[in-house]
Amino acid sequence: MSVVVEGLTKAYGRSSHALNGLSFTAGVGVNGLLGPNGAGKTTLIRLLATVLTPDGGTMRLLGRDPATERSAIRRRLGYLPQEPGYHRGFTVFEFVDYVAILKEMADRRARHDEVRRVIDAVGLTDVSGKKIRALSGGMRRRVGIAQALLGEPELVLLDEPTAGLDPEERLRFRELISRIGENRTVILSTHQIEDVAALCARVVVLKDGRSAFEGTPEELRALAKGHTWLGEKKGGLLSWRTGEGVFRSIGVPPEGARLVEPTVEDAYLLLLGEAALVAAG
Amino acid sequence: MTWHMDGGLATRYADGDLDATLAASVEAHLLACAQCRGLLAPQVPRARLDRVWDEIAEAVDSPVPGPFERLLRLVGVRDHTARLLAAAYSLHLSWISAGALVLLFAVLAARETTRWGLVGFLALAPIVPVAGVGLAYGRGADPAYEIGLAAPYSAFKVMLMRAAAVLVTSALPALVIGFALLGQNWTVAAWLLPALALTSLSLVLSRWFEPAHCALAVSILWLAGIAGTNLREPSLAMFSTVGQLGYLTITVVSGVLLVARRKEFS
Ligand SMILES: Nc1ncnc2c1ncn2[C@@H]1O[C@H](COP(=O)(O)OP(=O)(O)OP(=O)(O)O)[C@@H](O)[C@H]1O
Ligand SMILES: [Mg+2]
Ligand SMILES: [Zn+2]
Repeated sequence: MSVVVEGLTKAYGRSSHALNGLSFTAGVGVNGLLGPNGAGKTTLIRLLATVLTPDGGTMRLLGRDPATERSAIRRRLGYLPQEPGYHRGFTVFEFVDYVAILKEMADRRARHDEVRRVIDAVGLTDVSGKKIRALSGGMRRRVGIAQALLGEPELVLLDEPTAGLDPEERLRFRELISRIGENRTVILSTHQIEDVAALCARVVVLKDGRSAFEGTPEELRALAKGHTWLGEKKGGLLSWRTGEGVFRSIGVPPEGARLVEPTVEDAYLLLLGEAALVAAG
Repeated sequence: MTWHMDGGLATRYADGDLDATLAASVEAHLLACAQCRGLLAPQVPRARLDRVWDEIAEAVDSPVPGPFERLLRLVGVRDHTARLLAAAYSLHLSWISAGALVLLFAVLAARETTRWGLVGFLALAPIVPVAGVGLAYGRGADPAYEIGLAAPYSAFKVMLMRAAAVLVTSALPALVIGFALLGQNWTVAAWLLPALALTSLSLVLSRWFEPAHCALAVSILWLAGIAGTNLREPSLAMFSTVGQLGYLTITVVSGVLLVARRKEFS
């Protein structure tokens, strides 16, 4: 397992406990992190990126201890923060090259080849000479993804990489991520449940800084089997009117409702109950 | 066209076995003859084509760096160091010239009463590098700071490199302005040690606080000292020999602290 985390705790100040004894493991493949706003996804990813240090618990990343072998881990790490910043006066090429330098790629020719490779992988070759300030938000996002792929890292951490991408680009991105996940460990935090269902081998659902579920998307979906209903009346734990004018309910069956096959989203909502409702507004 | 390539020649050319003269004449012919290009195409190994293509790509899209980066490379700074420096806002030409302009105007404004001009200049000259260093690194100043933190390159090294570059780029104009407008007297360089002391002190403090805040705190401290010693009339008390020894001490102690605690900066 490339990531083994046990009893991880992290608090910001005294009152805000972001992680409360989180345990999980992740191996080669795409691992999804789901959870409502404030569940601790970003905190976890920043701990895995060695940007934060935990208050308690143990972490092993790529078989190493981040407390003592941080540099060795950083050399094999790709990281896209949730709100990445860019030097807007740099061109796409210059910015990615800048990160490549921070990744200690010293040989210029080899570095430039690698920079071109990742820019091509996210489909930005045509604008690689453009200033970052002149790009659209989605394109900037792709610059962020490109830099996370530099040097073929063994552990790739992506914090909501698909936020702000159009559907076509999201599809391209899925393709790219699944390709990376073939022989690497990818940890992907997202609110896009379809992304998880489409490309993750495993899912971890975070709730209040703990793991509320760990398993395959299919296992997650199975949680809602026998708890998902369709009918004329509102009811259950959660219920909403679908486009067809009938109510989809999760939990206790409303009167006259019939059982239907759940989706991964149904199971996620069932798992989080009230918290999900609040987060969804 | 008097001749065309045969298969043997094409193979030898593709493998790179021809001597330079023959290869050159083959190339001249290839440019003009589609038939021979067709003969050659399947002979050239894919890997070799890719390599050639990479070289062309490197030459074509290796973008020309910005003016500041070019300038740095011109004075012998290595290309990756130049890129790391160019990422700092306070190393942009606009910032550097703004700093120089502030000093210039301060001197010109106080020109009639030369002594005030000198004090004003000496008081402001260290602030320019301190502010520049405060805006050269750290979460608040570096938009890609978070990405950089997770990269193996030492954040401490980036900080020192940028601080040194800011010191040089702000000291040069200040020295020129001082000597040109305030006279050929070493007193006009009396701000140098205070500048070193204040910047190194703010570097040490940035272990705990945001660099810009450290720069601000140190600058306020400095200006308070200047104001205190200049209440009645222009005075160079802050630049006395004792003072200079003090600045030297602060610089050395800060330097030692920085080196000793360098691990804590990443
Ligand atoms: N720098 C910080 N200072 C103080 N509290 C913080 C900080 N960062 C996060 N928190 C708190 O920690 C908790 C977990 O936040 P985190 O950003 O990890 O959640 P998240 O799952 O990534 O949420 P989102 O889906 O909104 O990105 C939240 O309660 C948040 O308010
Ligand atoms: Mg987050
Ligand atoms: Zn011919």
